Amino acid sequence: MEATAIHALLVEKLGDAALEYVDALEKGTIVAPDKIAEAATILRDDPALHFEQLMCLSGVDWDGYDDSGKGKSVQILGYDELGKPEQSDRVGEGDLGVFYACYSHRHGHKYSLFTRVPRDVASVPTVSGVWPTAAWHEREAWDLVGISFKGHPDLRRILLEDGWEGHPLRKDYVMPSQWQGVPLEGQDYAKNPFSEDDVVLPERPVEEG
Amino acid sequence: MSDTTLTNGWEYQDKPREMQSELLEINMGPQHPATHGVLRLLIKTDGEIVHTVTPYLGYLHRCAEKIAEGCDWRQWMVYTDRFDYLAPMNMNFGYAVAVENMLDVTVPERAEYIRVICAELQRIASHLIAIGTFGLDMGAWTPLLYCFREREEILNIFERLSGGRMLYNYFDIGGVRFDTYDGFEDEVLHMVNVMEQKLDEYNTLLSYNKIFIERLADVAVIDTATCYEYGCTGPVLRGSGTPFDCRKDDPYSIYDRFEFDVPYGMGEQGSVGDCWDRYMVRVRECFESCRIIRQAVADLPGGDIMSPDLKKLVKVPQGSLYTRTESSKGEIGFHIIADGGSKPFRNKVRSPSYSNLHVIEKVGPGMMVSDLVATIGSLDIVLGEIDR
Amino acid sequence: MQVMTDLFASIFGDSMSPTALLIAGGLTMALIMSLVMALCAIVFTWMERKVAGFMQSRYGPMRVGGFHGVLQPVADMLKILGKEDIIPDEADKGLFILAPFVIFIGSLMAWAAIPFAPGFIASDLDLGLFYIFAVSSAAPAGILMAGWASNNKWALYGAARGAAQMVSYEIPLALAAIPVVMVTGTLNMNAIVEAQGGGIWNWFIFHDPFLFIAFVIYFIASIAEVNRGPFDMPETESELVAGYHIEYTGMRFAFFFLAEYANLFLVSCIATAVFLGGWQPVAGPVFVPGLVFVFKAVLLVFMQMLIRWTLPRLRVDQLMHTCWKVMVPLALLCVLGSGIWMMVSGELL
Repeated sequence: MEATAIHALLVEKLGDAALEYVDALEKGTIVAPDKIAEAATILRDDPALHFEQLMCLSGVDWDGYDDSGKGKSVQILGYDELGKPEQSDRVGEGDLGVFYACYSHRHGHKYSLFTRVPRDVASVPTVSGVWPTAAWHEREAWDLVGISFKGHPDLRRILLEDGWEGHPLRKDYVMPSQWQGVPLEGQDYAKNPFSEDDVVLPERPVEEG
Repeated sequence: MSDTTLTNGWEYQDKPREMQSELLEINMGPQHPATHGVLRLLIKTDGEIVHTVTPYLGYLHRCAEKIAEGCDWRQWMVYTDRFDYLAPMNMNFGYAVAVENMLDVTVPERAEYIRVICAELQRIASHLIAIGTFGLDMGAWTPLLYCFREREEILNIFERLSGGRMLYNYFDIGGVRFDTYDGFEDEVLHMVNVMEQKLDEYNTLLSYNKIFIERLADVAVIDTATCYEYGCTGPVLRGSGTPFDCRKDDPYSIYDRFEFDVPYGMGEQGSVGDCWDRYMVRVRECFESCRIIRQAVADLPGGDIMSPDLKKLVKVPQGSLYTRTESSKGEIGFHIIADGGSKPFRNKVRSPSYSNLHVIEKVGPGMMVSDLVATIGSLDIVLGEIDR
Repeated sequence: MQVMTDLFASIFGDSMSPTALLIAGGLTMALIMSLVMALCAIVFTWMERKVAGFMQSRYGPMRVGGFHGVLQPVADMLKILGKEDIIPDEADKGLFILAPFVIFIGSLMAWAAIPFAPGFIASDLDLGLFYIFAVSSAAPAGILMAGWASNNKWALYGAARGAAQMVSYEIPLALAAIPVVMVTGTLNMNAIVEAQGGGIWNWFIFHDPFLFIAFVIYFIASIAEVNRGPFDMPETESELVAGYHIEYTGMRFAFFFLAEYANLFLVSCIATAVFLGGWQPVAGPVFVPGLVFVFKAVLLVFMQMLIRWTLPRLRVDQLMHTCWKVMVPLALLCVLGSGIWMMVSGELL
């Protein structure tokens, strides 16, 4: 089935919630966040669509994305040359988004769904009732990007420690300087701890075989 | 021995009250010989029978996706090696194809053929480990050594090709990094010939061994609907009877030029979708990979190995795309969001083992602890790509 | 023991009383048996590693001791002796320390009735075979102690499985030896061996088809008794991370190790004595009986090693099914069949 036809079907079933058709490399529909679960159910259950498998669910932080296409997005904060975490007084703005890439084994077509939610109320209904595999992908999105999923059976961190603070894949995430008392600062690269005199190579005969 | 097979859906609460005792909570901890990496499984058992399985991930999380936002498109190729460190060529292939789909670049023919040869050799090497370690989990120590002996030959070829034995960083966006060496084709053909004989040997030693079959037949039956629901791909999906292969059904690179079959589980020993089927799919895929390699080596053209259009600093135009390729463990997908610059905006890796492992929460309850070990072995997970 | 007692008598003559001679002879034999046990561990660890190596198309130990690593077990023992002795904090100290000894003693005591050569038997009991089976039942108790005292859930798993397995497989083991007892009419090990004199066709394994089947049952049950090969569920490395002896290090672990290889040689020696003619040669007069006995037993050990490195392992419930639903009925059938054969062939009457 053609992507435009899929979009037409979604518009028919969802009405206003199917916001926009995206005709780029990845063809899909931008859906209003509160109707994403319905959209997923339609994709899975409608006999003409029959998207049994969710290929990928990825969360993204759109903060600082350069829409003009010149590649001037905001750089992430890392560690500076002296190994200290870079600080910035820039406040994170921009939305958080979720991508859903679906595939139908029966019909052989692919389709994507996109949503965007504002940063302060980053909550999207879960699709784990539609595709159980989404349970772990949504946990990862929560863990790394900080999007919470309403109705998720077990929303807790999956890849990071339970007590981790912050959501690392956000663009305004500051690299921590310590974790549970262990310093995470990098080495002072400008300073070489060894001098020529310190290093003494041992005299050892080369072993044969 | 059908009276000892336990069905899913067994409920602890259905036992008479006098027989209910405490559930034993046991850690198949991060360090364990049978969990194929640093995976923690919290198992609640009633004696030998598993009540729930909860995997805990993240012991090997190395934030590769965050690092992607700080390095070039080309530089990140190195990180893809470290995902599935037992099949790095396939990971490289997936990323290269994903980025090339967003760029407007044609990969030279020679590079395409070399890529296919490397990917298929890597698939054989990865399946050899899967077969060997699966036998080891079942207590057969010898097939492991035989599989590693064959894998050594493949690793020697890769070492002469790329300089590394385990992590190659051989593919590049737009081609491959180095050209092949003299005698590459002969060595590869010799390897393939040897491989087909040895695979027959493994079948005699391990696959059709009565004890091995008894251990695996009818264990952890995963049907196709569960596979779709839990996003299982690769040998897990094919073992359940669905002959779906990204190389055939969603072709990328030059796979549509080759003639090969897609093996799938047919329930030869036990039910369709049991551990033995998934194991046998891997063995048969090795034979198919040998076929592809023969065809590719026969047609290997001369020419460039790197696309001349690409500049040193790759800039991918704005857009987002999800591309998937067939790795030895399943479908590896890269969801890439680019903003037109030299660094990725978001690289999301959809790894096959992540979804394959999820299935164990559903299939685990009701089986014995030994069967749990068999199931994990048959899913063939690699923690590197689960945790990234 | 007779040999030892005669030896002492010949050296000391009248200066020792008969009781003193008995005690001296007995102690020497006990010492020799302990040395045999220690030698088992040394020789068979080397043999196992070499057999495994050659089966897996690699060499095995090659360096230590020059020729094919013959001193490797010595190096291993020295390494084990040098390890730290750790007792887990919450472990049951008494049981923890006692467990390896119980297993070791259970094995050592059974050596008292093995006939290596005419007269060279530590204790010529009339109850020989029965005594051996009775005394080697101490091992499951030791395993349970080890698993429980370790305060480790995986050890408990291994101990439960191990005890269940060993206790179950003692039954086909003993049942398979009963036809031999029926043929000879005695439990005395010396008498059993002597009844197989006169060439290879007098050995009990060839006595009648039921005894051959009994030998096969005995062999398989003996592999299960020693927790080896396809029956090594209690100590599977890939599942239970060493099972009931997870928490044992150093010399305590060495005791488990020792007991396992000693048990291996023990069951092979019993099989040799009972089925394969003991120290009786293939043909001709009795010649170097001790060496003949040991050679046959080592051959059986070698077969056990071949089996271990070839086959995958059975799951616990399949193991128990094999014992109770396959081997025990078959062994009973052998007893019955053997008796009927003897009745029909006129031996019994």
